[in-house]
Amino acid sequence: MRVATDVGGTFTDLVCVEETGIRIAKSDTTPPNFEQGVLKVVDKADIELPAIEDFVHGTTVVINALLSRRGAKTGLITTRGFRDVLEIARGNRPDLFNLAFDKPAPFVPRYLRQEITERLDYLGRVIEAPKLEELALIIDGFKADGVEAVAIALLHSYVNPDHELAVERRVRELWPDVSIISSHAICGEWREYERTSTVVLSAYVHPIAKGYLASLDDQMGARGLSSKPLIMRSNGGVATVDGARNDPISMVESGPASGMLGAAALGRQIGEPNLIALDIGGTTAKTALIEDAAVKITTNYKIEWDRANPGYPIRTPVVDLVEIGNGGGSIAWVDDGGRLHVGPQSAGALPGPAAYGRGGTNITTTDANLMLGRINPALFLGGLQKPNWDNVNAAFAALEKELGESKDDIARGIIRIANANMINALKLVSLNKGYDPRDFALIAFGGGGAMHAVALAEELMTPKVIIPVNSSVFSAWGMLMCDLRRDFLKTDVKLFSPETAGAVETAFKDLEDHARTVSLKEGMPEDKLRMERFADMRYAGQEHTVKVALPCKAFDAQTIGQFADEFHRAHKREYTFELDAPIELVNVHIVVFADIDKKPLPERTVTGRTVDETHKGARIIDFDEAGIHEAHEYDLGGLEPGMLITGPAVIEDATTTLVISPGKRAEMDAYGNIHFEMVG
Amino acid sequence: MAIGDEMFEAMARSSMSPIIYEVLDYSVGLTTKDGELIAQGNGTTVFLGMIDALVKEIIAKFGTADAIQDGDVFISNDPYFGTHLSDVAIAKPIFFEEQLVGFAVNKAHWVDVGGMVPGSFTPSSTEIYQEGLQIPTMKVMEGGRLLQSVLDLIAANIRLPRDSLGDFWAGVAANNVGAERLMKLYEKYGLDAMDAAMAGLLDYGEATIAAELKKLPKGVFEAEDWMDDDGHSDDPLRVCVKVEITEDRFTVDFTGSAPQALGPINHGRTALVAAVRTIFKALTNPQISSNGGCFRALEVICPERTIFTAERPAPVSTYWETMLYAEDLIWKAMSEHLPDRLTAGHLLSVCAFILSGSHPETGEDVILVTPLVGGWGAMANRDGLNGQFSVADGETYNIPVEIQEARYGVRIKQYAFHNEDGGEGKYRGGKGVYLDYEMLCDSASLGGSFGRFKFPPWGAAGGNTGSPNYVELIRKDTSSNVRELYGKPAQVKIQKGDIIRCVTATGGGWGNPHERAQADLENDIKNGFVTPEQAARYYHQEVAAE
Repeated sequence: MRVATDVGGTFTDLVCVEETGIRIAKSDTTPPNFEQGVLKVVDKADIELPAIEDFVHGTTVVINALLSRRGAKTGLITTRGFRDVLEIARGNRPDLFNLAFDKPAPFVPRYLRQEITERLDYLGRVIEAPKLEELALIIDGFKADGVEAVAIALLHSYVNPDHELAVERRVRELWPDVSIISSHAICGEWREYERTSTVVLSAYVHPIAKGYLASLDDQMGARGLSSKPLIMRSNGGVATVDGARNDPISMVESGPASGMLGAAALGRQIGEPNLIALDIGGTTAKTALIEDAAVKITTNYKIEWDRANPGYPIRTPVVDLVEIGNGGGSIAWVDDGGRLHVGPQSAGALPGPAAYGRGGTNITTTDANLMLGRINPALFLGGLQKPNWDNVNAAFAALEKELGESKDDIARGIIRIANANMINALKLVSLNKGYDPRDFALIAFGGGGAMHAVALAEELMTPKVIIPVNSSVFSAWGMLMCDLRRDFLKTDVKLFSPETAGAVETAFKDLEDHARTVSLKEGMPEDKLRMERFADMRYAGQEHTVKVALPCKAFDAQTIGQFADEFHRAHKREYTFELDAPIELVNVHIVVFADIDKKPLPERTVTGRTVDETHKGARIIDFDEAGIHEAHEYDLGGLEPGMLITGPAVIEDATTTLVISPGKRAEMDAYGNIHFEMVG
Repeated sequence: MAIGDEMFEAMARSSMSPIIYEVLDYSVGLTTKDGELIAQGNGTTVFLGMIDALVKEIIAKFGTADAIQDGDVFISNDPYFGTHLSDVAIAKPIFFEEQLVGFAVNKAHWVDVGGMVPGSFTPSSTEIYQEGLQIPTMKVMEGGRLLQSVLDLIAANIRLPRDSLGDFWAGVAANNVGAERLMKLYEKYGLDAMDAAMAGLLDYGEATIAAELKKLPKGVFEAEDWMDDDGHSDDPLRVCVKVEITEDRFTVDFTGSAPQALGPINHGRTALVAAVRTIFKALTNPQISSNGGCFRALEVICPERTIFTAERPAPVSTYWETMLYAEDLIWKAMSEHLPDRLTAGHLLSVCAFILSGSHPETGEDVILVTPLVGGWGAMANRDGLNGQFSVADGETYNIPVEIQEARYGVRIKQYAFHNEDGGEGKYRGGKGVYLDYEMLCDSASLGGSFGRFKFPPWGAAGGNTGSPNYVELIRKDTSSNVRELYGKPAQVKIQKGDIIRCVTATGGGWGNPHERAQADLENDIKNGFVTPEQAARYYHQEVAAE
């Protein structure tokens, strides 16, 4: 038996895969003691811990500590002359015309940013050795000020970590029990602000993450779990507990990553390797492009970043996705110029949409879907509660007055705008990166994915839509499809040419050796280890880089030309042009995998039931431009492989609603996934 | 109704494609076929007004003879329709069903466009011909075919053609993305609906701003200030503004400001309009996506041939000093009347400099061009921001120390906030920085323009004036006690081992320093933002050092 638990903002989900099929369960998330919710959902699903072969766990504990500012009091040690780098940041002001702009405050105030005399040059050569004797005073000060975690960020440590290591050793001698992280250990890239920010945020969450992982490990062990938990990372892989503890910030985006990874794995199984994945939740929608059944990874990640805020960079490998403030709870509002907007403000779970009747006075996307008949009132909130129509009508009345339009028109408008926002995000990951959506299938999951997917695919012109089985807990299932994975990136700028092939090969080999050592130390099994090579490359003289997958064959003067062609092609796709200019290698990127024995989706049982037997009734649904129709209702739970349903129709259960517009056909595959052919 | 809103969202975002980043400044935008701005994505504020001005120039020059065709790409760096020669604009006409429907445009700073000094700006020029290659508005692609001879001519006249031609192709690519997304909208909605939507969008911009305008204080507001000098004489130059706000008009009048100068602090009328648009947007609605309709209530008055309205062949390469004064004058006139939107005076100058020398490891020629961060003014309820770029910039990023050292072969000794006197107040001005470069190559040359060297940022509501921007040279071998300070260094020779200290301003304070809360001052001292000695001198408070 393999079990995944996914701690989300509102619910903790569980998916259990056995020979006999899949079991799922949901329970409330229990901040700040998240492990309580995990134990509860395990109990609820009636799972015997000793029977579990793999227990995979995804948690929001890291992002939650960051966003709520409940991390450890952190002290920072920098090169002399550079303690203000963290506060100067990059000096940018995304909210260009707002002269009252407020710059984000640094996570470490100035008096806890201390400097040590030392210096390397950009080639890593020693200009001045660290004066370690200065540390005693700094550490005394940190202790007196109640510091709980220490971050070390010295210039050029990405080239040569010796000075950071020396400082770290001395700090450990002076203060053996403090949390301490050096920048080179978690980020091998240049740009001192980004690396400093990454190590500061890592140190800030380190004590909490350590405590959480230890507690989870202990409590699961005490209840009979025989294997060590595997921890979901933002890079679409899982880590050993030791691996996650050493690099806690790598858990920062684990939830969204697992959904995208699940989509890639499902695509591999059902022969759809090229996908645009869309996860619509309560507050946000997330989308990523999957090519050849692989997600793309970036280290260009920031928290609290949006069109008006520079945010805080974290250079950790994260699945490359676009997230927008558009989910079921997104609020519809009218601006001073009389225009209707949806989101990014969300009503969340509390007060929630107006129809929840929990004090919400704003119309949300969910309310609009309800108004148009797309959500079945009888199945509202899992069928546990009737929609509060008085509340919905009162909230609509305010918009009717402001806009001078009917409720139905406004509801249609809300859905169109919500869809336009999502289309924009879908284009950002596809068209804007040089991919044609017509070459991809749209796979949609999360609470709202199935409801919007067909309309989005029509506009995006993807030929196919896939709604995976158990789509509302798809992210948790995705965790069970992940392998152990650790990414290693290192900036090592050199020409990528036949003359430099030897040096390029050495750069890759060196990082591979380092990657192997670290991975084995963190408990990845040696017999299953495999590596992949990537490179961030650019034209000499340009800033922007393109990530290129390279085969794991040695570079030499003959082969390097082919690899250069890969770069030209990738650059042309992403930026529409190629140059006749020398190519530079900027970052060497090694991915270490250790394969886990995963169980594919089991086939769904066929009993020979007919489509008519799953027919529950009919209701009126507003399909906007496709008209208002009576739509047949089918029970998703009763559907069987091979069944074909033609719109206008709706397939639904307590957690999922698939809206099928007139003339569109939906068919269930052998595993229980629903496919829509969009042609015709 | 809903379709209009949906298109609005899509159009407003379709230009947001910052393909070029980590360059000094860039902007991308879409206009109607008549050159009305539909949407603009900005890296900087200075180009607000440049996109539409360029398209109108293209239409005037090529439109009548039916010479605008599908597949054309236009290029221009005419500074009198823009900023300075370093900013190169690329424009692509967009066709739907063989009809011209709009233009995609971008403008970006190239590191060098030729001229008398590497980096192409210097305080010492006296005419445009010294400032680089002039590219009048012309075609560089025709019907989809590259005019290679045009590119060859450009490449032969600039110092780092490889870098700049990469920027050129990135600009072409950015336009392609914007054009493609506009095309998709035309395919979905058709010609008539799109025309109507665009007109509606402009009206919406106008209506939104009109509503905001009604909320502004009414009356006549005036300000004057002094600019350091024109780089050729030591005389300060007076600039002034009269702002008149009524229920539906916002009129600014710069009459009385200094005449066109000998040195390159001038700029053309387009830059003046862009400056006024920027501050007007800040006063009304900073968040709305800019379009032509937003500025219909705006009127800009200024006589011909002032430093704000210079004409060919006046030099313009350090135009930002003057352009930012135009904004800052309105800012100063209005700050105490709009305390929730405006701060006291900020560093103002972009503080851009050019360091040209050779890389000590590779021997290659290198040109380091970068703007600097500094202090912003305090507000009525908080301290000023530390270490931010001037209002001219926005999505502009400083160049990391590690990248500067690797690429340019300099060594940076410190990048840190300073404690120079200035900016005291109930709320303090934000901190400027010391950025110290040690030169490792045998010889190098420094140029640049650090305005507000003699006239630091203004305080508001009784707050103190900030500290100045300047460059200090700390020579390795010197016996002199006289400090070597510059506001406008021009081709200053640097020897190996010399230290160039770039210093940016502390912003102006807000309110009487004596009213600063004791707890805030204690915090300042703990964090090293105010010394105990400064606390006693300016704040009249005794605070024990830790």
